[in-house]
Amino acid sequence: MILQPEDFWSFYEWLMRPESFLESAFLQGIVLFVLAIVIGLMVGYIISANRYGPSEGFYAVARAVRDLIRFDLPGTSAHRVFALARLAFKEAIRRRVLFVVGLFVALLLLAGWYLNPESSDPARLYISFVLTATNYLILALALFISAFSLPNDIKSKTIYTIVTKPVRATEIVLGRMFGFMAVGTVMLVPMGLASYLFVSRGLRHQNLEVVDVVEEADGSLVGETDYVQDHKHSFTIYPDESGSTAQGLTDVVRGHRHIVTRDASGKFEIGLPQPLRARIPSYGDIQFFDRGGNSKDAGVDIGAERFDAGGYGSAGISRVIGLSGGSRKVQHGYVEGGTLGKAEFTFQNVTPERYPDGLNLDLSLRAYRSYKGDIESGIRGSVTMKHPTKDIESNPISFVINEYEVDELLLPLTPEGTDNNETRKLNVFEDLVDENGQLVLVIKCLDRSQYLGVTQSGVYLRAGDNPFWWNLTKAYISIWLQMAMVIAFGVMFSTFLSGPVAMVATFACVLLGFSAEQVYDTRHFIDSGIERGGGPIESMVRLLRQDAMTTQLDVDTTAAKVIKTTDAGIVYSLDAIATALPNLPKMVGTAEYAASGFDILGALLLRHAAATLGYCLLAFIISYFFLKSREIAA
Amino acid sequence: MDTDSTVTAEAEPADAAQAGNGDSDSGVVIETRNLSKIYRDFWGRKKVNALKSLDIEVRKGEVFGLLGPNGSGKSTTIKLILGLLFPSSGRVLVFDKDASETSKNERIGYLPEESYLYKFLTAEETLDFYGRLFDMSGAARKKRVNELIELVGLQGAKHRQLREYSKGMTRRVGLAQALINDPDLVLLDEPTTGLDPIGSREMKDLILSLKKQGKTVLLCSHQLADVQDVCDRVAILDQGELKELGRVTDLLKVQDVTEIHTKRLRPEVEAEIRAIIEREGGDCTIDNPTATMEDLFLNIVRESEARPGARRVTGASTPQKAADDDQQAEDNQGEAGQ
Repeated sequence: MILQPEDFWSFYEWLMRPESFLESAFLQGIVLFVLAIVIGLMVGYIISANRYGPSEGFYAVARAVRDLIRFDLPGTSAHRVFALARLAFKEAIRRRVLFVVGLFVALLLLAGWYLNPESSDPARLYISFVLTATNYLILALALFISAFSLPNDIKSKTIYTIVTKPVRATEIVLGRMFGFMAVGTVMLVPMGLASYLFVSRGLRHQNLEVVDVVEEADGSLVGETDYVQDHKHSFTIYPDESGSTAQGLTDVVRGHRHIVTRDASGKFEIGLPQPLRARIPSYGDIQFFDRGGNSKDAGVDIGAERFDAGGYGSAGISRVIGLSGGSRKVQHGYVEGGTLGKAEFTFQNVTPERYPDGLNLDLSLRAYRSYKGDIESGIRGSVTMKHPTKDIESNPISFVINEYEVDELLLPLTPEGTDNNETRKLNVFEDLVDENGQLVLVIKCLDRSQYLGVTQSGVYLRAGDNPFWWNLTKAYISIWLQMAMVIAFGVMFSTFLSGPVAMVATFACVLLGFSAEQVYDTRHFIDSGIERGGGPIESMVRLLRQDAMTTQLDVDTTAAKVIKTTDAGIVYSLDAIATALPNLPKMVGTAEYAASGFDILGALLLRHAAATLGYCLLAFIISYFFLKSREIAA
Repeated sequence: MDTDSTVTAEAEPADAAQAGNGDSDSGVVIETRNLSKIYRDFWGRKKVNALKSLDIEVRKGEVFGLLGPNGSGKSTTIKLILGLLFPSSGRVLVFDKDASETSKNERIGYLPEESYLYKFLTAEETLDFYGRLFDMSGAARKKRVNELIELVGLQGAKHRQLREYSKGMTRRVGLAQALINDPDLVLLDEPTTGLDPIGSREMKDLILSLKKQGKTVLLCSHQLADVQDVCDRVAILDQGELKELGRVTDLLKVQDVTEIHTKRLRPEVEAEIRAIIEREGGDCTIDNPTATMEDLFLNIVRESEARPGARRVTGASTPQKAADDDQQAEDNQGEAGQ
């Protein structure tokens, strides 16, 4: 998982973008609301002018707006909303939607056969499975119940007995939305519990025996466990201060480790796997240096990776109007080995309180070989702790790069090091951390002409862990938010479309929301003239002609111009629509955090919550006008 | 059926008086002005001219009937009054408010043509739900729900989901929901459709008792006998146009025929009367009047309930049974007979 710069934004940064307001979510929201209001008024006027004539039509629209502000919003009664929500809830429950929970449980039962416990990280597999299954089941359910309910009521005319009571359109819309959200909540809770049990019990196993225990010269015990669930651990028990070797840890295999205890009689016991956790990363600011030691914005580009990754990222309004300033997707930047090239990470808030037992440093790095070298041994790197301003640094601690895994290093608190060319034992907090709590970590590649790739999110200090259940809860909250959004859209479409059409419309929105990033990427390629298959028409032509994606489009100039212009028009419109829709992949992406064992950032969840609220509000207002202006009995 | 004894004919809601022009008898509850409705298709092309320039006034405390064949615009009128449809031109005022205003519904009760209710709710839940829509407090709601369930005679079935109900029972729940807010104006769309003769009679009794309580009732029906029984005034519509409007008694009075009712007329007296009329140059028919089928049926049922098991000499009951949807009738009868 490569986090993009926007993933690190705090809630305020995301909302306001102090440096570039054009990208801010706030502006995006305002523009969306204003556009919705303007388009709504125009469409409303056209319809009512058609119905009542030009001047009477104007009054009809004005009356509708006045009614909302003067009567319907202030007159909305919480009691009635509750009564209608309760009805929607009962309706869903009595139509046996809870069946879906049963389906989910059945899915979990069957999944045990298919999820491969031999994979290198079974926890990731299990967690991403339960979250993905929940996500799609709940979204599909939200789609169905929200899109069909109101049209069904209108079709079966039960709505007649509702709207002839003193019930306002606001209450009908809110009642539906809240009722269905309650249904979703009632379903998510048991699904969450089942998921938690499934993951935690499914990964539980116990290695029973130890083999080949050898006592080393320094008194430590080295051994291996037996082979259970297709893996074994090796362990080393170091003697503690009193010389006792009663407890130690195994190494990390398949994403977990066990505690090994040794009782007085010398019998070893291996505990259950350590519980799943959610790492709370403390990210630093990154700075690259080239082979001559000059500071650079980015690391070495080892290929077309940056182009391939492409994309503008979601830069809000600024991208739609073409002001986002090119690709901004971050990929690995590489550091050349055996030179002055390095990557420096500056970490904030490094205090003894946060790191009492040493600095836990997690590394997710890449290696790039420019020649084969010794293929048996990995590329080596080193990490050095350094004072931000003074010339004090620890001796480099070397490691071998493990690609596609998180390497965990424990940096000692009292390393050997140099203080202005004088070698001595340093204290991290006293000698290396400055008065602002900052510490610099320097990462280098040790093998000449080989490269080490880093990203900002790939290197972080770990101050602590959150329990897994809390992270899973946060992932479920994220699913809940997506569900709320789908319900709001479903109810909105169902106020003016028939059930199946409303469902298709909502589904199209969800689909476009999911493909937002691809649309942005396509636009990026079109804007920068990179041949990547082009827009829809060009792609179709290429498919039919069986042309490769990256070649020049092989048609005559006029035809190419027509195709490209039309495509640009389509892609730009899609881009504008996708920008107006919720960015669902970002929300679905929170599952990836949980699966990779990262704490879901609170700010990210808050951002999703704010966006959901905004979209629900918008959907509510649009629904109101459609329902209000609709002839229920027509 | 019981009637609500708390509200008497004299007790007249204060706001109803405001709605009219002071005089409660002539207070106008519903007024349509030049009301027209044209149904259009998706492209705005005219499909049907369902209602043409309707002008009627429904006054406080009267039972007003809308009569007409299928497709004459009765239901359209009711839907326009309720704001379920928007007029193509003209206006509807209900309690002096525009029909599109939600607040008018506080004082309206509406029984739709078929009882469009949520089948997954029980009778009690249904009424409780509609009570909530009027923002009634918990205690008031509970009291009212119980009253109404008793009024429509569904005590034994109040915990059953409506999907299990017969048509007649559903109709009763529909009626109860229309009365949940003790409305000043009750709109009934085909109130006796789907009811057996007993239910139909009870419905008519209820309408009369609503009238007695000072409420205004607007009903539309094509069951002419029912309209004749309960309505004070009727409007007859055909093809969207108002054809006739007036008091039932006036409209039905046959001016040039005289009817004399008397009991146990001896044959010689009868001959004498005939002779007198013939002398005057008129022709006359003298005969025993026939009772209505309704009276006959109700008498049979009452008797059978008073003396279960006793068998009346048949002949009349067989065609009667065949005329009804028999299963339904049995159901309804069972429910009604408690």
